[in-house]
Amino acid sequence: MKSDVRKNLIFFIPTFSFLALFVIYPIIYTFILSFESENVYTSNNYYKVLSESNPLLMLIAKNIGPSPPWGALLHNIVWVLIHAPVTIILSLVIAYIIKYYNIKGSSLIKALLFLGMVIPPVIAGFIIRFMFDENIGIIPKIMKLLSLDIILGIPELSKTWMNYPSLALFSLILGSIWLWLGFSITIISAGMEAIPKSHIEIAKVFGASPFKILFKVIVPELKPVILTVFILTILWDLKLFDIVYASTGGGPGGSSTVLALIMYQYFIHASRYGGYGMSATVAVILTLITLFPALIYIYRSLKRS
Amino acid sequence: MVIIIAAIAAFLIITLPPTPPPPAKVKLTVIGPWAGDEERYFRQVIDEYMKLRPNVELTYVILRAEDIAASLPAYLKAGKTPADVIITAWGWFIVDMAKNGHLVDLTPHINQADYVSGIFDPVKYDNKIWGAPFTMFLKPGFWYRKSFFQKYDLTEPKTWDEFLNLLNKIKGISGIKNPIVTGDGVGWPISDTVEHFLIAFGGPDIQNKLISGEVKFNDAAVKSIFENRLLPLLKNRYFSEPIEWTTAKDLWWNNQYALYFMGTWITGMVNNPNDLGFFTLPGTRGVVGGTDYIFVPKYSENVEEAIKFVRYLATDGQAKHASTPAGKIPTWTKASPDVIWGPVKTVYDKIVGAGMAILPDLDDSVGGDWQRLFWDQLKLLWVNPDKLNDVLNTLTAQHPAIKGT
Repeated sequence: MKSDVRKNLIFFIPTFSFLALFVIYPIIYTFILSFESENVYTSNNYYKVLSESNPLLMLIAKNIGPSPPWGALLHNIVWVLIHAPVTIILSLVIAYIIKYYNIKGSSLIKALLFLGMVIPPVIAGFIIRFMFDENIGIIPKIMKLLSLDIILGIPELSKTWMNYPSLALFSLILGSIWLWLGFSITIISAGMEAIPKSHIEIAKVFGASPFKILFKVIVPELKPVILTVFILTILWDLKLFDIVYASTGGGPGGSSTVLALIMYQYFIHASRYGGYGMSATVAVILTLITLFPALIYIYRSLKRS
Repeated sequence: MVIIIAAIAAFLIITLPPTPPPPAKVKLTVIGPWAGDEERYFRQVIDEYMKLRPNVELTYVILRAEDIAASLPAYLKAGKTPADVIITAWGWFIVDMAKNGHLVDLTPHINQADYVSGIFDPVKYDNKIWGAPFTMFLKPGFWYRKSFFQKYDLTEPKTWDEFLNLLNKIKGISGIKNPIVTGDGVGWPISDTVEHFLIAFGGPDIQNKLISGEVKFNDAAVKSIFENRLLPLLKNRYFSEPIEWTTAKDLWWNNQYALYFMGTWITGMVNNPNDLGFFTLPGTRGVVGGTDYIFVPKYSENVEEAIKFVRYLATDGQAKHASTPAGKIPTWTKASPDVIWGPVKTVYDKIVGAGMAILPDLDDSVGGDWQRLFWDQLKLLWVNPDKLNDVLNTLTAQHPAIKGT
C-alpha cells in the first residue's frame, strides 16, 4: 500500500513542480507584491487603487450617472449582467432551432458562429471597432436603414459607437456576444444531443408548443450544461482585456475600462507608481472576484463526479 | 630542375602566413516605431550605415512607443534588453529608465552645441544626456489639397475671421461632410490640434507652462481658448467626428473633407506631395516639433558598436533620413537644410521664415498615464463639447505636477 502511495507521488512530482513554479509561486508573489509600495509593506496600494479618480484608472466612479463611465469594476459587472444571460438565451434558441428544425446547412451555420472563437482577441477587437464604425461598419448602417436612431431618439446609433461614452461599452458587450456565441452554442448543442429524443416526442404528443418544449423540457435537462456555460462566460468576461485594448483603449472618457486593462496600465507605468505593487493590487482584486464563480464551478464539477 | 622548383614552390606555400578569416560581423538590433512607408525610409539610413561599416549587421524591429513603454521596463529590470539601440519619441520614458539605472550615459558621445536649442531637455537627468536626438517632425497646421483650393477658389486665411469664412465656404461645397477631418488613433491626433490652438491663442510660452504645471488647464486663460476658439468650431460641426487617422487621410485626400491637421510625415503618405499645401492658425508664433530619441540600454552586448551607431544616427544619419520622404527635418545643426526633402523643405522654410518657435509636444513631454488621459478626454470633448469643465478639471487634477506622480 505504502509503495503504491510512493509510486503515485513520483508521478505527481513533475506536475506539481511545474504548477509550483509557474502558477503557485507567481500567485503568492503577486499577493505579497500587492502590499509593496516603495519597499514598504502596507495596505496603501489597495486604498489608492480603490479611491483613484483618474477616469482611465478608477475602479468605481464617485458620481455614477445614467451612462458610463462608472469605473472598471462596475463595467465588468455590467458586462457580465448583459453578456452571460443574452449569450445563453441566444445559444439555447439557436441550438434548439438547428437541432429540432432540420435546418439545411446547420453544420455550416455552427462553423460560422464558431468563427468568433478562433479569431485572435486583438484582431476581434479591431473587427468590433470596424463593425460599429460609421463609415465602414454594418451596425450603424443597419440602424440608419431601419431609422432606429430616429425611432429610439438616439442619433449616435447611426454614428461611430465607440466615439460615444454612452455606447462604447455596449458596443464592446455586443461584440463579445458575437465572439463567445460559437463556444456557447457548441457546448449547449452537445448537451442537447444527450437528451433522449423520446422526451421531446412525448411533449409533442401532448401538444406542447416549441416554446414550451424548449423551456419546460430542454432547459431543465440542460441545467448542468447551462451552469457550466454561465460560469465560463463570467470568467471570460472578468478577464477581458484584448478586445478593449484594441478597440477603445478604455475610452472615451474612461467609459469602457475593465479591470484587466487597468492592471495593465499600472504595469506599464510601474516606474511612476513606485514599482509593480499597484498592478499586483488590481490583479489580486481581479483574482478574488474571479474566484467566486471559479469555486462554484469546481464545487459543481466535484459534486457531479 | 623541375623537382627543385616544385620543392621551392611547396616550401613557399607551406611557409606562407595563413590568410586571416574575415572578422565576424557585429550584429546589432535596432527597435524603432516606423512601419510601412516610414520603415522603408528609415531602412535607407540603416543601409547607408551598413555600407559605411560593412562589419556591422543591423536588424530592424518595429515597436511603437506605447509597446516599448509596456515591455521594456520588465526586460531591463531583469538585466536584459531586446535591442542594442532603441528609438522612441517619449523623452519622459527615457528619463524614467535612466533614473532606474538602465541606460548608457551618452553625454561624452554627443556634442550638445551642434543641436537645436532645448532639444535635450526632455532626455536630461542628473545633468547627463540619456537619449540622442534623431530627426524631428513638425505639426505645422492644417493641410489641404492645392487642386481642391484652386477648384473652389479658396485661399489661405490670414486672420481668425478669414479662417471662419473659409470653413463656412467649405461647408457649403457639395460632397463635403465637414470642413476639417479629425484623425483618431487612441486620441493623439486630436491632442495635436488642441495644442496648435493653445499655442496660437495663448502664445508659445503657454505650451511649456502647461507641461511644467505652472499653468493649469482650468485656468481662465486656457479655458477661454477652448470656449472661444475650439468649442464654436466643434458645436458648428466644422470638425468631423474622430475617424481612424489613416482612414481619415484617405477620406480627406478623396475630397470628402477639405482640411486635415497632421504632422509633416503626411507628406510621405500621399500620392502627390506637390499637391499639398498647409497653413497655420492665423497669428500663431510657434508650432510643435516632435523629436525621436535614441538610447542604448546598458545590458547591450555591443555597447561600443551601439554607441557608434547612435553617433551616426544623431549626425549624418539625420541628414540621410531628412533627404527621404519620411517628412522629417534634422535637429543636428551641421546638416544643411538643403538636404531636406522638397515638400518638407517648403514647410520648414515657411515656419522658419516666419520666425516661429518650435515647441515640445505637450503630451509627449508630460508622458505617463496622463498622456493617455489627455488623448481620451479630448476625444470625449470632441463628441461632447458640453463636458468642457469636466474635461479641464480632470486634466488639471490628474497632471503629474499637481497629483505628485
